[in-house]
Amino acid sequence: MKLRVIRANLIVKLKTFYRERTAMFFTLAFPIILILVFGTIFLDRDKLSLDLYVQDLDHSQASARFVKTLQFNGNFKIIEVDPATDAREYAQKHKLNLILVIPKDFGILHDQRADNKTHDASVILRYIYDPSSTSVKTKMEYLNMEFAGMNQRMSGRPPFYRWEETSILNQKYRFIEFFIPGVIAMAVMIASLFGTVNMNTELLQKGIIRKLSTTPITRTDWILSNILYQFALAIISTIAMLLVSYWVFHVELHINGWLLGFILLDVFAFVGIGMILTRFVQEAQSAVAAANAIVFPMMFLSGSFFPIEMMPGFLQTFARVLPLYYINEGLRASMIFSDNLAALRYAAIIGAFAAVFFTLGITATKWEEGK
Amino acid sequence: MANQAKHAIEVENLTKRYGNLLAVNGISFTVRTGEVFAFLGPNGAGKSTTVEIIDMIRRPTSGKVRLLGMDVTKKKRAIVPRIGVLPQDFSSFDRITVRETLQFYSRLFSRGNADIDGLIELVHLKDKAEEQYKNLSGGLQQRLGIAIALVNDPEVVFLDEPTTGLDPRARREVWEVLLGLKKQGKTIFLTTHYMEEAEILADTVAIISRGMIIATGSPAELIENNTNYLVLTLQSVDANVVEIIRKLGFEPVHDNHQDLKVRVEHTEDILKTLNAIKDAGGSFLSLDVRRPNLEEVFLKLTGEALHAGPAENGEVG
Ligand SMILES: Nc1ncnc2c1ncn2[C@@H]1O[C@H](COP(=O)(O)OP(=O)(O)OP(=O)(O)O)[C@@H](O)[C@H]1O
Ligand SMILES: [Mg+2]
Repeated sequence: MKLRVIRANLIVKLKTFYRERTAMFFTLAFPIILILVFGTIFLDRDKLSLDLYVQDLDHSQASARFVKTLQFNGNFKIIEVDPATDAREYAQKHKLNLILVIPKDFGILHDQRADNKTHDASVILRYIYDPSSTSVKTKMEYLNMEFAGMNQRMSGRPPFYRWEETSILNQKYRFIEFFIPGVIAMAVMIASLFGTVNMNTELLQKGIIRKLSTTPITRTDWILSNILYQFALAIISTIAMLLVSYWVFHVELHINGWLLGFILLDVFAFVGIGMILTRFVQEAQSAVAAANAIVFPMMFLSGSFFPIEMMPGFLQTFARVLPLYYINEGLRASMIFSDNLAALRYAAIIGAFAAVFFTLGITATKWEEGK
Repeated sequence: MANQAKHAIEVENLTKRYGNLLAVNGISFTVRTGEVFAFLGPNGAGKSTTVEIIDMIRRPTSGKVRLLGMDVTKKKRAIVPRIGVLPQDFSSFDRITVRETLQFYSRLFSRGNADIDGLIELVHLKDKAEEQYKNLSGGLQQRLGIAIALVNDPEVVFLDEPTTGLDPRARREVWEVLLGLKKQGKTIFLTTHYMEEAEILADTVAIISRGMIIATGSPAELIENNTNYLVLTLQSVDANVVEIIRKLGFEPVHDNHQDLKVRVEHTEDILKTLNAIKDAGGSFLSLDVRRPNLEEVFLKLTGEALHAGPAENGEVG
């Protein structure tokens, strides 16, 4: 192992990367675009401000106050529906999943109850809704809860049952914070695997490996510089992703040694697989196809974008044999939950995996006998 | 080294088998220190296989190869810094410039002091020094390959078809470079299928065909030992000239340029032929008499032509 040789190799690779603009774009910009797109799509899910169409047939002071309360306490965005129209038709026509109708006598009934003239005066609020909509149930439950609270307050006595929420997680996290560790793991996997496959097949086919084998560079130097290069790329790419996540989405993630460790294991595992692929699939195109066949199931089934608990049982079992799953979970354990013990467990599993595949990769890499 | 060994390369009973194919079939030869040694043979003869076994890109099936006095299968580490190699179909990193490429290779050899500019000048790439490899023409790429092979100031240089694909001028420039290297005392192992290249550059030529060496010697020796005739070439002959020559008992052949070639054994036969043409009133534009070249030696020894096509027969100008 000669540092000077490794450095020379690293310089050539980095220069090539820098001069290959399209490769650079896909390595650096693609994951960032993914974060921006999905982060924006799921931003609403985190904020949970719901639209609420309200038709106020009463138009009294009381009904106006009622709507205001909904708006502030319930965090609804209120949209008024003209009292002159038929609410059902209106909902059908505008494809609304819910309209809340406040009846004509709302003000009168409210005042009767408030002045204690009639104890049992009650008002019926009507939900005009589309049962085929999946999200309407949530919205209605939310409203019900809001009304229960209001009823309770009107009774003038403090509630007997109160509750407190304790998350089983140390910290509440947002979707984007779940998403980013997955994208980091995936981006590093793709860059390492394809980087290795492309470089090795190209150098093999062009005969550059043959030429290199007549110089003092050894196979170890060569593989080590490739690892270093991929690691450097992974770090650069991860920093870019994190910067964007902090700036745009103000995420709260823990950046520490675990992140570095999991990136390194990610690189080792997939550079190893890449080396094995190039050995057994000599044609550049079939090697890329094989790499794709590895990347795609990993991307969608190992919980990069959504928790694997959302998948059917047999797919969850399958996910547990995918190396990327352990990197995803490990990164989340450390970045979101600060759970060192879990991170260590995942690191051990992926570490063993990386060790095996990297060793196989080394033995698979041909150096002499160029052709 | 103070007392340089007499032989830079010694090959004994070398064989290489690819599956069922015996690509190199028990060859033995030696290359003297400081000489230009040319391996001459047609496509698939086993040239590259042999060279690449000697310069340690491939491994022999059996046989012994000593390079700079060391066994190539055991002493690669010690030998590598002392040799330079231009493999066949050389290629380099697409996006790296000429200068950067040379710097890269000199770093691999841990040669901080390599004279990069000198090398660039040597192979006439001065105004392309900052050009990326992928933007160089095939000939320029090949010349960069030669420069790379010299980056560690090697004692033995292996060049596998260094001029294939070059235009005649570029080829001549490469020859100049190689002759310069020879003057510096470097041993050069060359493979080629251009007989004129071997004739001009080589001290020793080994003719290889189907994995076997069928003749070795200096170009002059090879011609001397394997031919006993002269070649008379007549240009723009009349139609009847062929008949006249036939009557004298010779077998004239038209070559690709429609010139007429006649093989004769003695100088008197030439006079006899010319007189006969003159007496019969035949005419021709010009004539040329020469010894046979390596091409003809090769043809005689193997029964196969060195080239498929005629265009590359290029006469020495
Ligand atoms: N890696 C290999 N596997 C199988 N056969 C091979 C391999 N390399 C070469 N051969 C075969 O061995 C024979 C000799 O090939 P070699 O490349 O040594 O010829 P060459 O003289 O260099 O030809 P050329 O002038 O075309 O470069 C050929 O028949 C070739 O097809
Ligand atoms: Mg060859």
